[in-house]
Amino acid sequence: MPSHPLRVAVVCSSNQNRSMEAHNILSKRGFDVRSFGTGSHVKLPGPAPDKPNVYDFKITYEQMYNDLVRKDKELYTQNGILHMLDRNKRIKARPERFQSCKDQFCLVITCEERVYDQVLEELSSREQESFQPVHVINVDIQDNHEEATLGAFLICELCQCIQHTDDMENEMDELLQEFEEKSGRPFLHTVCFY
Amino acid sequence: MASGSHRPELRSGTASRSVSGEEDIAIDMTTSEKVVDLLNQAALRTTENKLVDLKQVQELIINKDPSLLDNFLDEIIAFQTDKSMEVRKFVIGFIEEACKRDNELLLKLIANLNMLLKDESVNVQKKAILTLTQLYKVALQWLMRSKVVSEMQEACWDMVTQMKEDILAMLDSDNDGIRTHAIKLTESVIIALSPRTPDSDVPKKQEGDISLDKIPRDHSYIRYDTLCEEGKAALDKLLKFMVHPAISSINLTTALGTLATLARQRPMVMSEVVQAYETLHANLPPTLAKSQVSSVRKNLKLHLVAVLRHPSSLEFLAQISTLLLDLGMNQNEINRCTPAPRDQRKRPHMEAFAEGKKKIKMEPTLIEDDEDKEEPAPALAPKPVATPANQSAIDVTADFLFPLLSPENVANLVLISMVYLPNVMPASFQATYTPVESAGTDAQIQHLARLMATQITAAGIGPGVEQLKAREEEQQQPGKEAGPGEGPSEELASGKDLIIKRKVSLVSHGQAISVLGGYAGKIPAKAEDVPQAKTLPQPIVLSALAKTASSSGRKKVFRLADVVQPLTELQMTKLTNLSVQRILKSEKAIARSGMAHVRVKLLARLATQFEGAMKRDMLTFILDDIRSRSDLAFALLYQEYNIYLGQQAGASLDNYEYCLFTLLSGLQEKPEQRDGLFTKLVLEAPLITESALDVIRRYCEDETRVYLGMTTLKELILKRPSRQFQYLHVLLDLSSHEKETVRSNALSFIKRMYDKDQLRDYIERFALNYMQLLVHPNPPSMFFGADKDIEVASPWTEETVMQCLYLYLALLPLNHKLVHELAAVYTEAIADIKRSVLRVIEQPIRGMGMNSPELLLLVETCPKGAETLVTRCLNILTEKVSPSPELVERVRDLYHKRVADIRFLIPVINGLEKTEVIQALPKLIKLNPTVVKEVFNRLLCAQHSEGGSSVSPVTPSELLIALHNIDSTKCDMKSIIKATNLCFAEKNVYTSEVLAVVMQQLMDQSPLPMLLMRTVLQSLTMYPRLGGFVMNILSRLITKKVWKYPRVWEGFVRCCQRTKPQSFSVLLQLPAPQLSSMFERCPEMREPLLQHVHSLTPHQQAHIPASIMTVLEAGSKEPEPEPEPEPVEPMEDQDVHTQPAPIKVEQPEEAPVVVQMPEPVLPQYPPPNTEEAEPQMQTTTSAFSPQEEPAEPIPQQEEVTEQEQCASPLPAEQEAEHPTEEALPEHSDEAEQPNESSEENVMETDTGAVDE
Repeated sequence: MPSHPLRVAVVCSSNQNRSMEAHNILSKRGFDVRSFGTGSHVKLPGPAPDKPNVYDFKITYEQMYNDLVRKDKELYTQNGILHMLDRNKRIKARPERFQSCKDQFCLVITCEERVYDQVLEELSSREQESFQPVHVINVDIQDNHEEATLGAFLICELCQCIQHTDDMENEMDELLQEFEEKSGRPFLHTVCFY
Repeated sequence: MASGSHRPELRSGTASRSVSGEEDIAIDMTTSEKVVDLLNQAALRTTENKLVDLKQVQELIINKDPSLLDNFLDEIIAFQTDKSMEVRKFVIGFIEEACKRDNELLLKLIANLNMLLKDESVNVQKKAILTLTQLYKVALQWLMRSKVVSEMQEACWDMVTQMKEDILAMLDSDNDGIRTHAIKLTESVIIALSPRTPDSDVPKKQEGDISLDKIPRDHSYIRYDTLCEEGKAALDKLLKFMVHPAISSINLTTALGTLATLARQRPMVMSEVVQAYETLHANLPPTLAKSQVSSVRKNLKLHLVAVLRHPSSLEFLAQISTLLLDLGMNQNEINRCTPAPRDQRKRPHMEAFAEGKKKIKMEPTLIEDDEDKEEPAPALAPKPVATPANQSAIDVTADFLFPLLSPENVANLVLISMVYLPNVMPASFQATYTPVESAGTDAQIQHLARLMATQITAAGIGPGVEQLKAREEEQQQPGKEAGPGEGPSEELASGKDLIIKRKVSLVSHGQAISVLGGYAGKIPAKAEDVPQAKTLPQPIVLSALAKTASSSGRKKVFRLADVVQPLTELQMTKLTNLSVQRILKSEKAIARSGMAHVRVKLLARLATQFEGAMKRDMLTFILDDIRSRSDLAFALLYQEYNIYLGQQAGASLDNYEYCLFTLLSGLQEKPEQRDGLFTKLVLEAPLITESALDVIRRYCEDETRVYLGMTTLKELILKRPSRQFQYLHVLLDLSSHEKETVRSNALSFIKRMYDKDQLRDYIERFALNYMQLLVHPNPPSMFFGADKDIEVASPWTEETVMQCLYLYLALLPLNHKLVHELAAVYTEAIADIKRSVLRVIEQPIRGMGMNSPELLLLVETCPKGAETLVTRCLNILTEKVSPSPELVERVRDLYHKRVADIRFLIPVINGLEKTEVIQALPKLIKLNPTVVKEVFNRLLCAQHSEGGSSVSPVTPSELLIALHNIDSTKCDMKSIIKATNLCFAEKNVYTSEVLAVVMQQLMDQSPLPMLLMRTVLQSLTMYPRLGGFVMNILSRLITKKVWKYPRVWEGFVRCCQRTKPQSFSVLLQLPAPQLSSMFERCPEMREPLLQHVHSLTPHQQAHIPASIMTVLEAGSKEPEPEPEPEPVEPMEDQDVHTQPAPIKVEQPEEAPVVVQMPEPVLPQYPPPNTEEAEPQMQTTTSAFSPQEEPAEPIPQQEEVTEQEQCASPLPAEQEAEHPTEEALPEHSDEAEQPNESSEENVMETDTGAVDE
């Protein structure tokens, strides 16, 4: 594995904040990374908690950006949404939905338990073909900018450690235990097969 | 993909490229050329680019132009030995693709795959496993299609089968990833080797895949039955793998997924799957971490739901939904996943079969269970477990248990199982525990019964298992075939003998205990056997089984001997140790119960009965908190001693010694131990062994604890009389310790003990023995601990000498008699040691005091060779106090009767009679100048001391006079001059008055002392205002006919010379011959004197005799004629007889004039200020001195000066005088030196050192 960059997928629910933050950092560190959301729609905070901005996965970050600028530039600048979208659009054009992607990965990292469940459900509902294993690890990250940054670094460190193992599958268990101790948070971890 | 038809084409295609049409050739050429290019390139490229190239090649020859595949096959396969793992993986991928494309290639490539399967890289191996997972099905299918199977094909299939077996065996691999992949292969193999049934849930893409049902029973090579067996074996293996207690979470997850897949695709195994899930859920591996437990549970839930969605799950709905509920799913969600349509269809059918009893049981459950919702009721209605044809052992046992679970029984079960609860809550329990909401309801009891049944069945007991066995027997009996070659089964098969049966059950029973009791690693071996061997064949074999009533279920007689096995030595030791550990740790609990003394006693006995680690552990335990565990320590110690006493003669003390030693050293090594536990332990120990004594000694050597240690030692000495000398010896040894604190403490303890009569002798002997060592030429090697690598023949040093003396010197003031021993040793010792001894005895000798009878005795007896020692003692004693009469008496005695060494007298000089002192003076002043100085100091200082503690026998003036009167035959002049100089140096003592008295007295003597004029001159130099007095002296000297004493006369002349013009009047009193003799000596005096006469009044001039005038004037006119007729001697004679008379008469008139002038002045002058006087004195002295004693041998001066400068710290101005005034004649030096032996030197340098 070490000679080959890990094929990593980072998944959160809307493919906006947590997965994109990690995507950003991981790609900078040379990983073959992609990011996804598992929700049915992309949701961004709106003027009130019960009034989120909801977009389809087809809408580009650019469009969302323009839409929000139009709606309330002040508000979305202040809460960092515009900044986030600005970053996202420089990484890729639009959010992607995990369920729609048929590419294979070595490692899928999810950002909350619900997403993990969805990923697992999706992967196990697919028909097995190649039996190529994919490890799914959940790292709980709260959905805000600060936690996203911290979480992204944690994910990055984790990926780097995994990348450096000679035999990823054999060492993964121990590695995760170590990380659990170090970071003080539990990781859900399983393996699925394509 | 009919490979058979493709092959000829391929062959011809490659062979007949040139024959094909031109266009074809062009394309062909380009593609193949491209491939050649790429391959050539790839061979030279780096891994990454190589892969890119190779992938292109693969694309070209597999997809674009498969006709090229055969051509380039070898070239690509050649990369299988590439260094890069990625390239090798590519080759495997290529093999897979190629074989899928052209099955015939399997013949060629399977061996390569086999080789790569054994690759050194784990990742390559995994890839190979994955590929075989695919190719296994492909190969099987390919073989099926072949009507005629060639030998090659057979071999190929054999190899595939072999590889499959190899990989199955890899389930036990050390590598997690390999195991994961092996599980997937197992899954694939099981699917392929089991029949697809109508209710199979087949993925669309695998529609065409091979399965057992498609295999013709009449195939030429492949046997249906064999494959079927292989499939079952694989499932067995997988299930066995699942229950391994140390299975990793990923393997478990994988296996769970595999089981779900199996259950859906092959519903016939669903019962095993569900059972496996149940077993797992009840027995999550204890090795899993908390988060892993949650991951596994999540997976279990996911897969259970997947299984539940399958229509065939209906039979197991109850179990599955119980599990799901346990996993945190609510009823609603479960209902949503339950396949509805078939329900409807099946329900009436099932209900018909359902036993009424169960139905009744279930119904109340629903009502109680679902307080909030009515809806689920209908869905749950079918829940009653239909008695499936193959009702499993678990079901049977669960049914059996259900009515037994009365509150009372359950309470008992809980109580019993409390004992087996682990100390730490396992992560799995922690993660899964949820409070039992519906406790006591039937549903819950049912669930509980099932849980227990799972466990019990896994342990291989219970009615279900019995039933199963019975059925197996039934099946097997006809064929008389013992099933799996296991002992129990064989026995079972042999008959229904009750005894045998019981045996089996009992063995199982023993296992059950361990299963239920703890989660230790005992489950696997046993749990594996049972379900696999007996329950597994079920689905297939039992299908047509007639259910017979269980013949078993009866109670078994319990016999301990059957259950227990002898423990191995190791186990026993371990268990023993663990028990003791537990008793040790239960300290607090037992203390609370008030039975601490029992525990202590128990532990003490236990520890003494077992060798080895336990003892050590216990001692460590005690030492961890010795304060509160001292009772245990003592108990242990006494127990050991007790055992020692109980043994036969010649018993070893080792155990006791070890115990005591460990405790003591433990205490010793502990910092901060102030509460005297150490002392207590030592004093209360029944016996102090050598090693314990060593520890005590070490304790004493620790500077911070020396006091406590020695107190302990002292107690030991006083309270253990039987061995007190042994202990005392340690203490005595410490008295010469190199550490000051240790030593001084030891000494003070010894001094205190010295009072004790019974110890005194020993201590004394020890001290004397030690001191006796000093007579050896070299220090004994024992002074240098073994660690110090010093040669034995090393010389004595200050330290080693001291080591021998510490104790002695401490004892000396307590027992003065010992002093004689020192003298005895002293005489024999070498000079170095003597010096050291002299240095160190000061304190003790002073402590003894001069009244000590023993010291007096020593002085009296003074052994030969100990003179210096005695002298030193005397010096020490008299340093501050004046000697007592007794001492003086002894010394005098010694001096007179035994050793006539004048130096003995010095210390007591102030105690001597005046005459004695004066008698001794000539000898004294011949000594080394430093010593002389010291003597004078004693004499003069004592004079000074106003307290009057001692009074010098001689006054300063007496001393100086005595010096002048020393008979020059007894002492050379030089020494006398030096001695007088010493007196003059004491200006405080020798004031002008004292000197005046001295001069006065000396002058009155007859004959005149030789040094008289020297002293006069010296006094005059020191005190110029004595001039008047000196004039008086001079005139009186004339009356005493001073010219008769040549030396005095010479001094007289010089004095006059110095005191002119004062002296003129005196000169005029001289008779003419003497005056002229004087002018001969110093003619320059004549003119001034003449002038003086001229200046006198005529009346005065008239008094001057003509003869004088003649002498005076002779020189100015006719210097020649006068001296000639005057022979000095006769003139003098004449003068003596004739001339002096008139002058004598005159003198009284004249002298008062001269003398009286200064006399009134004298008292008025303050005591002479030396500092003012000095420069003057210096210059004057040096001015005339060269002439003073011209006869003396000058060449010696420098040498002597050097000597004196070294020896005596005299003031600078005095040193300046030495070259002239104190120049020693050679012979005087020689006289002194031969007398001084080396010993004397020792003493003198010594005295010097002390004085300094």
